[in-house]
Amino acid sequence: MNSDYIFDLLHEAVEEGEKNGAKFVEARFDDYQINTIDLTNDIIKESSSKRRRGTGVMAYYNGTPGYSFTPEVNSEGVKAAANRAAKLAITADPRNRMKMEFIERPAIKDKAVPIIKKHPKDYEFQDKLELLKRGTIAIKENVDATTIQGQYGEFYGEKYFVNSEGSEIYWVPIVVDMRVRADIVENGKRATAMDGMGQSQGLEFFDQERNSPEVVGANAGKWCKEQLDVVSAPTGKQKVLAGSTLGGVIVHESFGHLSEADFVVTGMSPIADRLGEKLGNDLVTIIDEGVTPYGGWFFPYDDQGTKAGRTVIVENGILKGYLHDRGTAQKMNTEPTANSRALSFMFPSICRMKNTYFEKGDLTEEEAIEMVGDGIYAISWRGGTASFDGNFLFNCSRGYLIEKGEVTKPIKTASLSGNVLELLKHVEGTTKNMILRGNFFGGCGKGEQFPLPVGMGGPEVVMDQVLVGGAQ
Amino acid sequence: MSFDDFRDKLLNISDSAIKYSKDLSIPSAEIFVFSQSSTDLSDQNGKIDIKDGVKQGVGIRVAIGKKLGFASCTGFEEEPIKGALKQAHSLAKVSPENPLFNGFTPDSIRANEGTLDSRLFDVDAIALGKNIDEISNQIDKNDKRLTFTYFGATVSIEGYAVGTTEGCLSSTLSSGTGSFAYVIAMEAGERSTGSWSEFSRGIHSLEGIGETASKRALRGLGKKDFEGTEILPTVWESKTTASFLLYPFFTGTSGSGYVEKRNPWGEKLDKELAVKELNVIDDGINPDYLTTHAIDTEGTPRRKTTIVENGVLKSFLYNRMYGHAVGKESTGNARREGAGGTPFENVPSSVPNKIIVQTGSKSLEDQISEIDKGILVPTLPLGIENFNPITGDFSSSSTDSFLILKGQIVYPIKNITVAGNFNDTLMNIQTIGSDRIPTSNPIDSPSMTFRGHTIGS
Repeated sequence: MNSDYIFDLLHEAVEEGEKNGAKFVEARFDDYQINTIDLTNDIIKESSSKRRRGTGVMAYYNGTPGYSFTPEVNSEGVKAAANRAAKLAITADPRNRMKMEFIERPAIKDKAVPIIKKHPKDYEFQDKLELLKRGTIAIKENVDATTIQGQYGEFYGEKYFVNSEGSEIYWVPIVVDMRVRADIVENGKRATAMDGMGQSQGLEFFDQERNSPEVVGANAGKWCKEQLDVVSAPTGKQKVLAGSTLGGVIVHESFGHLSEADFVVTGMSPIADRLGEKLGNDLVTIIDEGVTPYGGWFFPYDDQGTKAGRTVIVENGILKGYLHDRGTAQKMNTEPTANSRALSFMFPSICRMKNTYFEKGDLTEEEAIEMVGDGIYAISWRGGTASFDGNFLFNCSRGYLIEKGEVTKPIKTASLSGNVLELLKHVEGTTKNMILRGNFFGGCGKGEQFPLPVGMGGPEVVMDQVLVGGAQ
Repeated sequence: MSFDDFRDKLLNISDSAIKYSKDLSIPSAEIFVFSQSSTDLSDQNGKIDIKDGVKQGVGIRVAIGKKLGFASCTGFEEEPIKGALKQAHSLAKVSPENPLFNGFTPDSIRANEGTLDSRLFDVDAIALGKNIDEISNQIDKNDKRLTFTYFGATVSIEGYAVGTTEGCLSSTLSSGTGSFAYVIAMEAGERSTGSWSEFSRGIHSLEGIGETASKRALRGLGKKDFEGTEILPTVWESKTTASFLLYPFFTGTSGSGYVEKRNPWGEKLDKELAVKELNVIDDGINPDYLTTHAIDTEGTPRRKTTIVENGVLKSFLYNRMYGHAVGKESTGNARREGAGGTPFENVPSSVPNKIIVQTGSKSLEDQISEIDKGILVPTLPLGIENFNPITGDFSSSSTDSFLILKGQIVYPIKNITVAGNFNDTLMNIQTIGSDRIPTSNPIDSPSMTFRGHTIGS
């Protein structure tokens, strides 16, 4: 799209909203290309190409927001959306008991474009299909699988933002991702395993050995075979070494959401009004960041045009801050943290995480395993759920027993549960190796907005008093 | 706008896209046109959020023989629709053949449309606000234990049309309203939550939504520890049983999973799957269900399909391609599932329309009265959705269950794990309840008592 034309449309939306009574207006335009390939048992089950573009308008009246959107890319469509957003805000204002006005800030004019060596748009469908074929061949070399699935996904596009302050921001989101999965049925036993991840990079990501189709395919095959001969994990509270993936999920799902400031200002979060309180031990530092040195997703700005930095949520166990949009920040007399994010133009921006992780420590993986002594090494997970009292449960789909400081046998699916506010008191160390994922598949859910891209991962984390459960 | 105007609009866009495809010399195409207008209002402890908008888009499948490509676009503008057609055509050209593909729907046969309520065109933000006021008024403001309330109300009108170059041009519409209440009760540092919701294809009743949510929050206060690990009977309330069974029935009824040999029930067709008291159908045509449509998302008429009869698995659920792969007709179960409420961005898969578990004879109270020691599970435990689809193992965490002793609920219990295996669960149904509370989910079930779940602390 012509960027001048899009900025002009967004300015028209802002003016229309103001003309219809809004006191502040934000208008944003997304133009995303989302391509996927699903290769199941050597058949292309799905190859799709989605273009998702449109304009969202948030209008504010006395600190009450109203939101509307349109897929139409023309003056009439965006002005109608702005008009509706303004009217909704004005209509809702009398019943709003929590108005969140924010002070005006200087306009920002910026473009943020990541360096991409092998942009997926410059490569053919067959090049991406070939990645999956290489991955599935690697599975076949390692296991006689019943079902083999390879999935490739890419997401790229443009984001434009304009507001009543005169800001004009343009930035470029991108991610590529590949997963391979093996299922096996042997002598009545069933097993499944998957490997692969994504990153805000181009196809050069798969040139790295660990992320190559050959390595992720071989891993999926080996891990699947391994699952045919598993033991039940001992149940009850015990020490767990959470791998990078699982540690990242725990900090995101069980703690990160509690720190989202919309839940804080309404009193829903159990960590509301607890700034400065010691929630965890000295080893616990939790970060949310837009552009990290460790990879993950590239989020230079949020959907209110706030530049993303590095937010320390917990430092050495002490609650230092929350994840804010402009309104919650103003209400709590602090700075916005660029956490106002929307799934697409079809949704209003709300407080959401970006790349959220435990800060790394100084343990090697071997030292972390030795520290556990007897317990569980929980690596892969299948989903994750947390509730607003801090309780969480994650199913460990690939894990191992740790016995006398050594990794021994693979375990059957087990649940890891507890309360995160208790868990933070029982973190015993984090490793110095860090992996942050920028996944295409999956994402963060909040209300109806799923899956929002977020960066997940971090170091491996040694934690005690985790409740391990599972059928015996 | 009227329902007739809305339907005409969808059909016109589908028809136009078919014409574009012919202009582009595309040999075979299927056009799925979707539109949903909605308004949502919520009140989170006084913080108001309000939005409206129209989600619109087109999903296009192009076939060159058995080579398929799919592309979608948001909006109904000509340029992106033509762009999606070209993109789907390009993908089809470079894709290898899909041996299972058997062509797009050639005709326009429809089942009956579900109930449509034209009053919903007049439900606006002000009307939704009145709903929230009424729900809020059901909460006892003098009870200081009720510290947090979250109310929401929504109205939506949606429809889709399917057109194919083979001759299908058909559409279906639906309408609906819904409201919910979520309440947190606090006492002596302890926290308990309760929620309730109601919905309808027309204007739903608001009676009891706030009151029920607050009662459910309050009854969870005063939790005690559960000690040890035991295998115990568990009694699941109606809505909770529905949520619980959603997972095995979604994977177990999948026709695509059956063809691809990843369906855990794949070897159980015409065999005993569950206790003989269990009877289950998929009902795509009941006019009152939110999920009812006249056609599925490939243009096949919806229908009823028997899934389990007297405990025996009778059928999987198919769309055109996967039904054809095993010599069956489509059961009208082509749905375009995906996140974000944009079905036009997804290709059809075989998914339940509305699974209905037939009722038994015992009330929830009767079931509880027959338990010597067991657990009442009033809401879906955390993490059940993360079960292992291959092995059926699940392990979950419940923070609001109750201990049953000698036929009585004695007290709420703190965090417990509830673990089991879905493949065993249907054979371990002890009692099927007589209640079946409607839900907005694709499954409704009466309450049930299960044997054999591992309960741990």
